[in-house]
Amino acid sequence: MQIPSVTGFNAMGLNLDKEGFLRELADWNNEVAQILASNEGIDLTDDHWEIINLVRDYYQQHQISPVTRVLVKATREQLGDTKGSSIHLMQLFSGKPTKLVSKIAGLPKPANCD
Amino acid sequence: MKFAIAVYGAPYSHQAPLSAFYFAKAVLDQGHEIYRVFFYHDGVYNGNEAIAPPQDEPDIRQMWSSLAADNQIELIICIASALRRGMLDRTEADRYEKSNANLDKAFTISGLGQLIDAGLNADRLVTFGA
Amino acid sequence: MKTLLFVHTSSPHGSVKAQEGLDALLMGSAFADCSALFLGEGILQLLKNQDTKQTGQKNFSQTFSALFDYGVDKVFCSKTHLQNHGISESDLVIEVTALADKDVAALFSSNDVILNF
Repeated sequence: MQIPSVTGFNAMGLNLDKEGFLRELADWNNEVAQILASNEGIDLTDDHWEIINLVRDYYQQHQISPVTRVLVKATREQLGDTKGSSIHLMQLFSGKPTKLVSKIAGLPKPANCD
Repeated sequence: MKFAIAVYGAPYSHQAPLSAFYFAKAVLDQGHEIYRVFFYHDGVYNGNEAIAPPQDEPDIRQMWSSLAADNQIELIICIASALRRGMLDRTEADRYEKSNANLDKAFTISGLGQLIDAGLNADRLVTFGA
Repeated sequence: MKTLLFVHTSSPHGSVKAQEGLDALLMGSAFADCSALFLGEGILQLLKNQDTKQTGQKNFSQTFSALFDYGVDKVFCSKTHLQNHGISESDLVIEVTALADKDVAALFSSNDVILNF
């Protein structure tokens, strides 16, 4: 597990804040996503990538990251009923889908409410 | 009756906070209840601990703070509005790696859901500075 | 359960009020049956093809297309105010029901809570 250093540059050369979010969203790419995920103890599989791509597309289209219930609905519409469930998303993203998907997908850090 | 109050205006820039305050006083004086005071938009500046007005002008931050303490009223600052405008408690200052926390301790940072909840659960939601 | 009416009256980029009003509407959709009503300059928020690059602001007009996903399917504006601004419904980013003045008034009275942005 990569621990971000005090300066925010961790061992992989990523510029992260103390909570492990990218400081510059433009730094994001597929390799960066792998590192961000492994910092959270997650090995990215095709199932993860489906969600990451879906959320990035959603952000691109609507300029917001979907809240969990909307993410579940969008996943169900695009990937079917089995994957479009909060249980599937919770399992993939350590029980914190909204926060971790935003982090790994390189989207804005969510405010600490809801 | 249960009143909720939403304050959208900044102190010393806008009449809204003082009008909201005197409305809240009148509500309590007449035996009604305040469910919550929610600060949104520029209203979040009401919670700035560093407000230092001239001595012949009202200290609105102090007025809110006493009103809340005397009547057990929640003063809620919207987190999204607060972060944009640099109104931070210690937790948020740490989260965003800022050196100063400037939110007065009488105020609590929370989500916009608290405004919706106030609208749904109070008998009246009265907005100042809309 | 009470119903909420979000009334949007601010121009889109003159202040952050329009954007924060949309945030409130999205949040409201998690709790209750919400309608949105655009009046006056608020109608300008819904214009298609907004480009905010020169102003440096976020183009949140793209977010209106997410309202349906959030369960907000009752979006209204004033027919009179559309005409006053020389705008037609086809100029807007999402489908909006344009109401005659008396129906705007009826919308206010048929909702329990009004939030004004």
